[in-house]
Amino acid sequence: MNSKRNKALKSLTGRSEASTLLILIIMIIIVACLQKGFFKWSTMDGYLNAFFPLIILAMGQGIVIIAGGLDMSCGTAMAMVLCVMTKIMNPNVSSSGVTALLVGLGVALLTGIVNGIVVGYLRLPPVIATYATSYVWLGIALFVTPTPGGQMTSWFKGFYDLRKIGFNASSKQVMPTALIWLLIACIIWAVVRRTKTGRYIYAVGSHNDNSYASGINTAKIQLRAYLLNSIFIYIVAVFNAAQNGSGSAHMGDTLTLQVIAAAIVGGIAMTGGKGNVYAAIAGALIMSFVSKIIYFAGITSAYQTLVSGLIIIAAIASSILYSVRQKKALLKGVSE
Amino acid sequence: MENRPVQLEQHPVRNFYLRNNKVFNTLLMVIIVFVGGELIIGLKTGTWGTFLSVTQIFITIRLAAFIMLFGLCQQLVICVGNAGLDLSVGYIATLAGIITGHIMNSSNAGIPLALITAMAVGAFFGLGNGFFTSYLGLPSLVVTMAMANIVQGIVNAYTKAVPIDGYGSPAIVWLSSNFVGPFPCIILVIIAAVVIMTILFGKTRTGIKLLGIGANETTAYLSGVRVKKIRMMAFMVSGIVAGLTGVLLVGSLGRASMDMGSNYVMPSIVAVVVGGVAIGGGEANYLSVCLGAIVLQSLTNLFVALGWGDAGKWLGYGAILIIMLTAYIRGKRVR
Repeated sequence: MNSKRNKALKSLTGRSEASTLLILIIMIIIVACLQKGFFKWSTMDGYLNAFFPLIILAMGQGIVIIAGGLDMSCGTAMAMVLCVMTKIMNPNVSSSGVTALLVGLGVALLTGIVNGIVVGYLRLPPVIATYATSYVWLGIALFVTPTPGGQMTSWFKGFYDLRKIGFNASSKQVMPTALIWLLIACIIWAVVRRTKTGRYIYAVGSHNDNSYASGINTAKIQLRAYLLNSIFIYIVAVFNAAQNGSGSAHMGDTLTLQVIAAAIVGGIAMTGGKGNVYAAIAGALIMSFVSKIIYFAGITSAYQTLVSGLIIIAAIASSILYSVRQKKALLKGVSE
Repeated sequence: MENRPVQLEQHPVRNFYLRNNKVFNTLLMVIIVFVGGELIIGLKTGTWGTFLSVTQIFITIRLAAFIMLFGLCQQLVICVGNAGLDLSVGYIATLAGIITGHIMNSSNAGIPLALITAMAVGAFFGLGNGFFTSYLGLPSLVVTMAMANIVQGIVNAYTKAVPIDGYGSPAIVWLSSNFVGPFPCIILVIIAAVVIMTILFGKTRTGIKLLGIGANETTAYLSGVRVKKIRMMAFMVSGIVAGLTGVLLVGSLGRASMDMGSNYVMPSIVAVVVGGVAIGGGEANYLSVCLGAIVLQSLTNLFVALGWGDAGKWLGYGAILIIMLTAYIRGKRVR
């Protein structure tokens, strides 16, 4: 009886998602204590809007990392798609929004295809290859918008907040538009996870050579992982375009590292093949709440880059130490 | 399939070329870029002899000198393998430059203290990079990027976003920005660096160990090389060189600024790749890296002359990096 309970406890705490969730709950408690009215819809809506880019990009990054890759270009890719869309849109022509959406989708998918070809088919190391492509995106974004700017059609605002285009506009009830986007993202992954591609993504990430030997087209699977990531990038770009109505080529520069850190904090192993994409949401929330706590602690903005850098290093290091400890525990079990 | 025994030809010129083929290939690229640039500029504006002239070549070398020095850091970190790259060099240089700018304060008396401080700052952050990558096994790009954030954070906090009043010493300013005849003084630093690096990798045990680790980690470990320690040291020395480069940057710009080093990070990596040095490790050829830096700088000059500015520069660097990587280090086909 006792041993059974121990086993149940072990299977719960042994999962990396459990510790991520625990940290997230602690974070929420701290923030809820620091801020009055945390559980109000309007506060939650504000938080969700602020954290949204990190959450979605971390999900995409998670998929790529599980497939054995890494995307150092997600921030600049997002900025490029954003720049292209806000450049195309014209406030006086309402159909230009549709053009912008389509061209933006094309550009976003193109980034995924290029990254996928470079990593999957050309077999370059993913870290340095996507670092290189990130500068290609930056260059293109600078060609499109040399100085920050851009415009948008009025109905486009709906992608950020549905109330702006008449849905429930009169009622006080907040309609969390970001939550709808998040739901869409989750559904995309839930569907893909249940297909052959979803299973292959895990297989390729954990053992590339073995997967190839058992007949999986590894390059194609990696390309698909990057494509999925680019769809998530597109979602964030649309959301940001609707929120700001303008774009800047340097908008995503600092985002990339946070996104990678969020995915790792979510328990997704850097070595690939292990992890839960939904846990990346929790990872992103943890990273965001940490920066909120820094803000509440009254640390001036000059120190915030420093503190966030320290936290990112600590988070990455601790997750690696955790996996090392797990491996040791596993070996111990074998020898016993 | 023919199966002839490999025969070393007794042909001195050919052998000399084969031994230094990387340097010659990169030199060819330098010539192509200069001649091509001259043609493009000449055809566009109708004035010849502006891009390909002695003055222009030496100005390019002076501007490329900082890419070369940061390329030295990358060369050290790359040659020990394990996909080592250091994205924090430019930021470390900025921090070191800002601190030493205060110490030097436009007088030559502060130079020794400034150099020691710069080395200490570089060593501290380099050691951090090395510890996290080598002992904890984290990917170096992610670690050094986070370290870059930390260092930039310290810079922001230290300067509090007000203009910085750190000025370089006259001697440092002379060394980093003056010309003697057509020759830029900073060429002395570059020559010293090339000689040191060539001796290090060609003649010393340390150099052999560094290359051995990069070529085959397991073999190096089994032959008694302390792999992790030496990898950490490579990152530390990279940090030290970055710190010293920061001092020269202050001299070159006259005064320290908050983002003076960050734009050199990407070019320094591309310079190593253009130099034909294997980014997977186990190889070093600093002279070739320096020539690679000249290629990049003259390409940048060309982009500026054509009015493409930053966009063309970053796009070009990214594209060159991908093309060069594809040419040199494609992974083996899975079988």
